[in-house]
Amino acid sequence: MTLNDQASIYLQIARMLEDGVLRGIYPEEEQAPSTNELARAYSINPATAAKGINLLVDKGVLYKKRGIGMFVAAGAAGAIRAERREAFYEKYVTALVREGRSLGLTAGEMAEMVARAAKGGTHHDHE
Amino acid sequence: MTTNEQNAKSLVAKGVCKAYGKKQVLQNLDLTLEPGRIYGLIGRNGAGKTTLLGILTAQNTLDAGSVSYGGAPVWENPAALADICFSRELSPNLLMGQNTLKVRDYLRAARVYYPHWDEAYAKRLIDEFGLDPKAKIYKLSKGMLSMVTIVLALASRAPLTILDEPVAGLDVVARERFYQLLLEDQMATGRSFVVSTHIIEEAAAVFEEVVLLDEGHIIEKCPTDELISQFCCVSGHEDAINALCQKLGVAPLEAQALGRQKAVTLRVSGERAGQAAVEQGLDLDVSPLSLQKVFVALCGHEHPAQAPERKGA
Repeated sequence: MTLNDQASIYLQIARMLEDGVLRGIYPEEEQAPSTNELARAYSINPATAAKGINLLVDKGVLYKKRGIGMFVAAGAAGAIRAERREAFYEKYVTALVREGRSLGLTAGEMAEMVARAAKGGTHHDHE
Repeated sequence: MTTNEQNAKSLVAKGVCKAYGKKQVLQNLDLTLEPGRIYGLIGRNGAGKTTLLGILTAQNTLDAGSVSYGGAPVWENPAALADICFSRELSPNLLMGQNTLKVRDYLRAARVYYPHWDEAYAKRLIDEFGLDPKAKIYKLSKGMLSMVTIVLALASRAPLTILDEPVAGLDVVARERFYQLLLEDQMATGRSFVVSTHIIEEAAAVFEEVVLLDEGHIIEKCPTDELISQFCCVSGHEDAINALCQKLGVAPLEAQALGRQKAVTLRVSGERAGQAAVEQGLDLDVSPLSLQKVFVALCGHEHPAQAPERKGA
């Protein structure tokens, strides 16, 4: 498994675990990967893996069962989805509008494209 | 056999100075290496890396300053040196000619020298690497030489183990395997490692902290993530770049221009640069830097237009 070189690795680890929770790979109230498992799987320093896990503990996505390991909190998937919806505007919509504007697209044209993509349309007419 | 975290000790260098003839190699250098970490030592050729590592392990003399381990000086201190392994780069040639020692004998000497030596582990590593214990060192390939230094370092089980350019001769598959072995062993034992390397990017994630050595000074020592997050690359129209730099009150560490398009490296977090760009209504792209780029920005003093004399390796 590989991580990208650019973003902070611990953030990528946290993001990847969250993706796993959202997809049901790590179901709620079940055990999440340990620091050492993550370090081994991604060839990263265990301190970095721990930083990613701690971020999710602080957010309430994971919690620690003493002597056993890290577990996915009840309601974690819903909380992650809510948080990502909040961030969706900042992260994707503003970036989309910025790029669209630099290409001279109007708000209407962009909205039309979004609507088309949402309908599951193909995008072979992007020239 | 495993290092106990409770009695783990730190290695502390204070005010270390070293000159070879008129050339000052290390200048008033301070460094603390704590137990249970993997440090990456990065510096250009001639920055003083090997000299520093030799001094930390009492294999080189120093002109001024001190190096202590668990509070006791390392120099001629068998108790301290039993805990510290320096696996040097292995050369097929010695001063007097070819290195005709066999791999087996080289490692046997290490077994005598390092009291924490783990013979079973050494055997496993030799098997995994496909090393022939009876081969003479001068007949080994570059990759094999690197593997011998890695076997010595890992099997020494020394609580503080230093590897000088351990991956220099290895192909990418072997390099990845080495970093896996290093992480496995570090997690199992809680030892500390210092690894010097020129192949920065693929090692960045393995290091808990990086130590940047530049012209005999340590210019940075901090967690890899934290160091990287202090920098960003901004690109766009030169007027917008200049306006941003002025607003942030920083000068670019590096700049590249292509017509009026400009890209600069700034010592500012990507967040701060991005926020300032938005506030000022500047159309700019902000992207993070890799550790390698950070290193080049901090240590790449040579500019092609005014290249000063090159330093030796």
